[in-house]
Amino acid sequence: MSTSTKDVRAVLVRGARSEAQLDGAATIEAEHVLLALAALEGTTTARLLAEAGLSRDEIRAALDREWEQSLAVAGIIVAVAELPTATPDPDRRPRIGESTVRLLKRAGDTASGFGGGRIGAAHMLVGVLDAKLGRVPRALDLAGIDRAALRARAAEAAEQGDH
Amino acid sequence: METEKLADPADPGAGLAAVVALRRLADRLEDSQVEQAMRTGWSWSDVAEVLGVTRQAVHKKHAKRLIAAGVALRRR
Repeated sequence: MSTSTKDVRAVLVRGARSEAQLDGAATIEAEHVLLALAALEGTTTARLLAEAGLSRDEIRAALDREWEQSLAVAGIIVAVAELPTATPDPDRRPRIGESTVRLLKRAGDTASGFGGGRIGAAHMLVGVLDAKLGRVPRALDLAGIDRAALRARAAEAAEQGDH
Repeated sequence: METEKLADPADPGAGLAAVVALRRLADRLEDSQVEQAMRTGWSWSDVAEVLGVTRQAVHKKHAKRLIAAGVALRRR
């Protein structure tokens, strides 16, 4: 990878924030970080996701299915694609959400567990995949993704410093 | 997580996920419907009355976004 770790982080934050803006969300959550990771062109992390069937668009689709499924639990049948849309606020600055705080903590733990060094994209992916609860694991399970296998590949890449 | 459990109303994980999903749905509908109302010439006061909040609250939450979206807003 030619770009430095610092660049990747900046791209990632920008990407995650714009995914949150697109949703009209007040906070940047783990799902937005995952979408941004998948959109990191030319990186090992994005390739691992794509090989697992998780391109940026496929993740969006999986998250929409999770939304529909969870609404159905409350007896509400909705096709997310048919919901009225709102124009996103381009000036909105979504804050870091609780699920992102948790995943950053886990990514930091993973990075230091592998002998220190900066947090890279693969560490972040491990952090996302280590969440047992919430929208991301539900969406990935619904999409039939083998989270453990993907996590193992991400951890291996992180260990090799190949982000 | 087994797939059946994901939609089982008796499972707290599914029940709590439904709460999150409903909030997301309410937020999406509020953003889209306030925008729709303002595009069709509703006043902030009327929108606020229907939503059961103050005019200031609805203005604070939506005005910047709607101005950026190019919606012609009424003064009142």
